[in-house]
Amino acid sequence: MPQPGRPDEPPAARPAAHGDDRAPRTAEASRPRFPARVYAVGAEPDARFSLANERTFLAWVRTALALLAGGVALEALDLPVLPGLRLAAAVLLVVLGTLAPVLAWWGWARTERAIRTGRPLPAPVGFAVLVVGACVAGALVLIGLVLR
Amino acid sequence: MSGVGTRSLARERTRLAWRRTALGLAGGAVAGARLLQDVVGPAAWLLALAGLAAALLVARFARRRHESDPLLTQRGGRLVTTVAVGTLLVGIAALVVLLALATGRVSVL
Repeated sequence: MPQPGRPDEPPAARPAAHGDDRAPRTAEASRPRFPARVYAVGAEPDARFSLANERTFLAWVRTALALLAGGVALEALDLPVLPGLRLAAAVLLVVLGTLAPVLAWWGWARTERAIRTGRPLPAPVGFAVLVVGACVAGALVLIGLVLR
Repeated sequence: MSGVGTRSLARERTRLAWRRTALGLAGGAVAGARLLQDVVGPAAWLLALAGLAAALLVARFARRRHESDPLLTQRGGRLVTTVAVGTLLVGIAALVVLLALATGRVSVL
């Protein structure tokens, strides 16, 4: 790269040329896609499938945020519910909200893999936990309201 | 891959989903700060600021991801993974706050 035969070249020319070579798109393309567990297999799918998978993931994230907000609000707002049951319900909601992003990511990765490899979509993960947990939390609050 | 160009409704829906998620994060941070203000004082608003900043970043990265790479052939799952880990951390923080509230050790915060 250094050219001893051309010492009169202005010093600013080389960095500028180098900067032109490194277009952002090229840099991004040379970076392996993460996670490799998903992107190392299969073929590039129709982007609409990947987009739908992404939206499902985002819906899970919003569900997680709602569960967390509900759990914290239940305890912080000092509602007229039996304190023990209220705390139990709040902890249950927050635990579900903490579990949800993990399930969301796992489901996203498994689904993306299945889409890329052309396999049937995996069964949804964590529906039972979420449904049972939310029902139990609701029941705890209801009982706590009655027994207050 | 027809229909996934700049006019694709799938892309639009996905962009809106990212925006809703960022809004939820921002709203949750402000609401959480308001709730915590009574127990930890004005320091709770640092949480609101952090949440708003995170929401802005999510919205911004999501937009860039979809505008510069509409077919998602290059970006991969980094943003998705970051958002999942971030939500997990928010959950753990909420659990800590909840237990602190319950045991009355909130003044320590």
